[in-house]
Amino acid sequence: MSTMETLAPSREVVDIIKEEGGDTLKLCYQCGICSAVCPWTYVRNFFVRRLMHQAQLGVVDFEDEDVWRCVGCSLCVDRCPRGVKVVDVMRALRRVVMEVGAGIVPSSLRVTVKNIAGVGNPLGEPPAKRADWAKDLGIRTHTPGTEVLYFPCCYQVYDPSVKRVALATVHILKEADVDFGILGDNVVCCGESIRKAGTESLFQNLAQTNISAFIEAGVKKIVVTSPHCYHTFRDEYPELGGNFEVTHFTQYLAELITEGRLKFTKELAKKVTYHDSCCLGRYAGIYDKPRQVLESIPGLELVEMGDNYEYSLCCGGCAGRLWIETKKGERFSDLRLGQAIETGASVLAVNCPYCMLNFEDSVLTSDKEGDVIEVRDMAELVREAI
Amino acid sequence: MEDKDNVRIGVYICHCGHNIAGTVNTEEVAEFVRGLPAVVMATDYMYVCSNPGQNMIKDDIKRLGLNRIVVASCSPTLHEHTFREAVQDAGLNPYLFQMANIREHCSWVTEDHAKATEKAKALVGAAVRRVFYHQPLEVKEVPVTPSVMVVGGGIAGIQAALEIANGGHKVYLVEREPSIGGHMAQLDKTFPTLDCASCIFTPLLSAIGQHPNIELLTYSEVEEVSGYVGNYKVKIRKKARYVDEDKCTGCGECPRVCPVEVPAEFEMGLAQRQAIYRPFPQAVPNVFTIDKRGLPPCRVACPAGVNAQGYVALTSQGKFKEALEVFRKTMPFAGVCGRVCTHPCEAECERGKVDEPIAIRSLKRFMADYELRVGREKAPPIERTKEDKVAIIGSGPAGLACAYDLVREGYTVTVFEASPQSGGLLRYGIPEYRLPKKVLDNEISYIKELGVEIKTKTPVKDLTDVFNQGYKAVFLSTGAGISQKMGIPNENAKGVIHALDFLKQLNSGIKVDLGERVAVIGGGTAAIDAARVAHRLGAKEVSIVYRRSRAEMPAIATEVEEAEREGVKIHILAAPISVLTKDNRLTGIQCIRMELGELDASGRRRPIPIKGSEFDMDVDNVIIAIGQAVDKTMLPKELDYTDWGTLFVDSVTLQTNIEGVFAGGDVVAGPADVIGAIAAGKKAAVSIDRYLKRMDLAEGRPAPKKKVQEVSKEDVETKTRPAMPVLDLKQREGFVEVELGFDEKTAIEEAKRCLNCGVCSECLECVRACEAEAINHEMEEEIVEAEVGNIIVATGYDAFDPSVIAHYGYGRYDNVITALQLERMCSASGPTEGKIVLKDGSEPKSVAIIHCVGSRDKNYHEYCSRVCCMSSLKYSHLLKEKIEDVEVYQFYIDMRCFGKGYEEFYERLSSEEVKFIRGKVGQVTDRAVGEEEQGKLVVVADDSLLGTIIRVPVDMVVLSTALEPRSDAGQVSRLLNINRSADGFFLERHPKLDPVATTTDGIFVVGCCQGPKDIPDTVAQASAAAARALAMISKGSVEIPAAVASVNEELCSGCKVCNLLCPYSAISFDEEEKVSRVNEALCKGCGVCVAACPTAAITGRHFTTEQIMAELEGALI
Repeated sequence: MSTMETLAPSREVVDIIKEEGGDTLKLCYQCGICSAVCPWTYVRNFFVRRLMHQAQLGVVDFEDEDVWRCVGCSLCVDRCPRGVKVVDVMRALRRVVMEVGAGIVPSSLRVTVKNIAGVGNPLGEPPAKRADWAKDLGIRTHTPGTEVLYFPCCYQVYDPSVKRVALATVHILKEADVDFGILGDNVVCCGESIRKAGTESLFQNLAQTNISAFIEAGVKKIVVTSPHCYHTFRDEYPELGGNFEVTHFTQYLAELITEGRLKFTKELAKKVTYHDSCCLGRYAGIYDKPRQVLESIPGLELVEMGDNYEYSLCCGGCAGRLWIETKKGERFSDLRLGQAIETGASVLAVNCPYCMLNFEDSVLTSDKEGDVIEVRDMAELVREAI
Repeated sequence: MEDKDNVRIGVYICHCGHNIAGTVNTEEVAEFVRGLPAVVMATDYMYVCSNPGQNMIKDDIKRLGLNRIVVASCSPTLHEHTFREAVQDAGLNPYLFQMANIREHCSWVTEDHAKATEKAKALVGAAVRRVFYHQPLEVKEVPVTPSVMVVGGGIAGIQAALEIANGGHKVYLVEREPSIGGHMAQLDKTFPTLDCASCIFTPLLSAIGQHPNIELLTYSEVEEVSGYVGNYKVKIRKKARYVDEDKCTGCGECPRVCPVEVPAEFEMGLAQRQAIYRPFPQAVPNVFTIDKRGLPPCRVACPAGVNAQGYVALTSQGKFKEALEVFRKTMPFAGVCGRVCTHPCEAECERGKVDEPIAIRSLKRFMADYELRVGREKAPPIERTKEDKVAIIGSGPAGLACAYDLVREGYTVTVFEASPQSGGLLRYGIPEYRLPKKVLDNEISYIKELGVEIKTKTPVKDLTDVFNQGYKAVFLSTGAGISQKMGIPNENAKGVIHALDFLKQLNSGIKVDLGERVAVIGGGTAAIDAARVAHRLGAKEVSIVYRRSRAEMPAIATEVEEAEREGVKIHILAAPISVLTKDNRLTGIQCIRMELGELDASGRRRPIPIKGSEFDMDVDNVIIAIGQAVDKTMLPKELDYTDWGTLFVDSVTLQTNIEGVFAGGDVVAGPADVIGAIAAGKKAAVSIDRYLKRMDLAEGRPAPKKKVQEVSKEDVETKTRPAMPVLDLKQREGFVEVELGFDEKTAIEEAKRCLNCGVCSECLECVRACEAEAINHEMEEEIVEAEVGNIIVATGYDAFDPSVIAHYGYGRYDNVITALQLERMCSASGPTEGKIVLKDGSEPKSVAIIHCVGSRDKNYHEYCSRVCCMSSLKYSHLLKEKIEDVEVYQFYIDMRCFGKGYEEFYERLSSEEVKFIRGKVGQVTDRAVGEEEQGKLVVVADDSLLGTIIRVPVDMVVLSTALEPRSDAGQVSRLLNINRSADGFFLERHPKLDPVATTTDGIFVVGCCQGPKDIPDTVAQASAAAARALAMISKGSVEIPAAVASVNEELCSGCKVCNLLCPYSAISFDEEEKVSRVNEALCKGCGVCVAACPTAAITGRHFTTEQIMAELEGALI
């Protein structure tokens, strides 16, 4: 190899990246604040800035794992002085791999893509069983005229360890006398994360399936228990003609409590710390409502972690990273759990199934003896106190 | 009007080199034009604006007898003036010319040659048809006022002012701050030469101060600007600085005695200054200014207007005697009110919004106690300067307060008191354990020493008698002396006592026998006093019965608490309905339980009896304390009363129905608190003074001063308010005082918690200290009017507040500072006398300087602030110079060292081994990873040259903050009618060709108000603006464009719509002729009036309907 390299920029690659939504890339002036604020710096090197520069010149190494590194937490997007949408650029790079075929797709992600494409959920469970979780609860199917559609995340539907969140949610909705229904095997994964993993056409299919099902069932207002569903329904589905009123359950809880439709009858004398998920926090700017709900629970003491609100540390599960193996020692959720434990709280409150899965895994694999900290969805905490 | 048949048009199509001809087929356009009516000739040419081009036009005019010219070339903004002059040179009126823009509108906006050529034809055709109707117009000239106003006294304003003044013309230099100097005065060294800023700048400052042509208006703001170029009229508001600039010698004695400290703006909060201050020692003018922000809330809340901030401030300095003097400027009862006042001041105290209100009442008591302890000199009697005598009837707080104010006005005052001793309820109503007699006696004797005569045992019933004795005015303050009845059966039974009688007997030294069980009815102060006295007299079981709830009790909360601690039982929501008797001797009371209903007239919830809830209480005595009423039998007969049985008076003047007789206190207000009575006495004193001076009683009374608007609570650390120490329960024997008062240390500490809301506390210590007698606390602001021909705006910039970038930790970490703070540290006259130190006073061993904080960042300001790279280099040098072996890291994105000598300076700093790290900092944190980061600030960045994320542990972080537009730039732009660019800075007329003028003629912008710039650029721009103003002055007149509106007075209906719409106030209404007229000097020819005029009476010259229609026609064909 010679000591100097001839720069052979690929105009084609640059054009594809721009077309695939990475257009703001050209504004980057290489200050490097993206690399400096990236949560990966806590565990390993990841040069966002360098990747941006490579993309500007069209010399990205698509076989490098770095293409799949970004967790989509958006911290760098908030800080960028030039308004570069880094997460969109990363998505565009992945599209080049997924759809143009340059480079390598991590094997675990490939399985997930196959599952979602085949049966409409990342777990590979049969679509016919999508409504099984609600079998004995006497929940109506959403029909035109029903006030609210409750749309749980695939994990809350199929994964036995997270299902409790959907159950708690239903309990609360009933308690507050909400006119709500669910949909069964005609809906599929919302597609938010798989889109960020680069499978644009798959996302389009998923979204179209859901939008048609919603329209057919006369859906006006959707309550979701995943910030990922929330983000894509609110911010991405409208581009595809899906305009619905979307509320994350946390916001809805705040509303129910303020309106007096939900009353607490029990004390929950626990010290709780709240984790701002990326999709609800930085993506949607919802910080105070969840805290308001927690603080309204009698007896509950809310304590804050160091990195909170717009500085919250990602659990590591956004943008498809949930489906890509992260080595022990490089997991953000382990660091975040450490921050939570430092506050002295006995409960880490979340409102995202991905955060929950990651944190529960961190608790299980923790080196510490005994119960480190309980990971609970806010819906579960509220249910306990009513 | 000339014959239209004789119109001869010449048309010139410019190539503008390749700019136009590269896209537009100019030949084809010329050919097209030749076919248009009245066109005599048309040609295309390489550069029409060149000399040969212009000469060609001139020759053609003469040779071919052309009388209309069209040039199709670039934008009229660029060359309309050029061609008009050429046309004029050839003897044509310049308005017989029209320009078509075929560059910006055709060739530059498309690559389609055919379309560009077609559009060019349409535009030139439109111009040809339009010019056909052009009329010759006359350009008017107006004289220029040879003086200039410069707004802003930083380096830009100073330079401009000196240039003009040295040119022999008058300059009004207006500066908002107390001194000129601006940001440059804060600088220590200047880049790249490292000149000492003071050395080069101070001479300029003093030159301004001494220049005969400069009228310096500091602490002043421009209020209003009217008029037009050459003839502006300005109003400047000169704020009251409370120090006479002519008398002040700048000796510096006043801040030494000022008790108020606030953060010093000039020192960027790194030091404190006094309320009376001079921003920096070399200030020009070298005089002091008192910072008054309005009256503090405590002083406004006090009914008597006592200057609480004043005595609290002096107390904080240990000046207890002086503090009491401040108090006594308002009233004499520090010891009394320090004990019994209901302290409405504390409820309003701003400190209460941080933690707890200042213990104002306790501090007041402390001053009085201090005087009693150390003893006081006899008060010097006041000289009688007025002949009139005033009689005051009743020696309670209202009467004595009135007497106090009047005797100090120089009147002869006599107080008549029916009782054996003076003081009214202060003496006879309040028990000794709460208000010791020696305290009251001291304060009454102070009043007497001033010259007030008090005649005790002298009841007055006949007013005629008083007037006959030569008294010219009377103040009635006889109180509300009789107890109200409950109106229940057996109320007159033996054993039922009234609280006032009870307390009066006791306070007169008469023994009162009580049984073992005593019930007190009522919830006011008198009830609590009676209960606690009963307890002290040996009653075993004392109960208070009150019909509302605890929250409604009018008594002072701490008094109620103390009563309970002493063993008094309180029954709330209960009221007596009957006195139970045996042989006309009381045996008990029957009560009924109450509940609270709707709000009543007093704003409290009305108590309602609960049916069937009656219960009996066995008691030996009942003390009734449900209120007092006025004893009419003790007052002169001719007086009028209200429906409430109190004296009728005018609410503003307090005059009764009899002229010269005034009344106040409980006799008017019904039973109320001491401070209310004092306030009434003071109010009456004002009336009596005005009455005796034969002034109107109501009109022109001193108006209340303005309350302070906003009180900064930034950086106030919470601190608890000390509790009032009280006598141990076991020691409360007899009538020993229960509350013990603060000791000196507690008082000083507590007084230091005061936020000094008004900044100046008006303690007047400075007046005493000023030998030059320059201080005048009554000074008022004034409006200075001036006429100027030109205005130069040099209002400077604000430094970006980096606390909004939370991840840089400014405001959170002590050792994260701004560039200007470091600048002040470097200055020999700064807060650290030139030492660069950490918060703990030690020297930093490593410093990170972060560039572009708030600049080049879409989240804050997109622009580059232009000076930060260089000033950051300068700081690196100063750090290296002042601290041995200091490590300095520069975190930059791009080094911009573009000026003369700048690159060389960069090189010099490189040789000083400053470390340059290319990367925007992600965060500054104190969370250490590893040993070497412990106790440090860690700066995290992507070193984009290393390609590594680095963590740099340092002792100090300096933020090179952006320069941003002044926060009030919007207001200033509206005031002066100038524009702002998207970044918020003032907009220049042209970014390259006219960077100092604005679109408003005669108004120039210089320095950082136009955009961030360094000192050399600022000075150059300031001189340029001065030259422009001087040029206009030396020409003596200014041309007013002729394209203005004119009114056809025959058609004007006088509706005034145009008057209201005109954005330049150029149209006025002639009331006699009933028509509107245009001031051509003010008119900008915008055409709003033309469009709005309902009778089409207004024409826009050079934009007539005929001309516009012809132009449209040409463009559309």
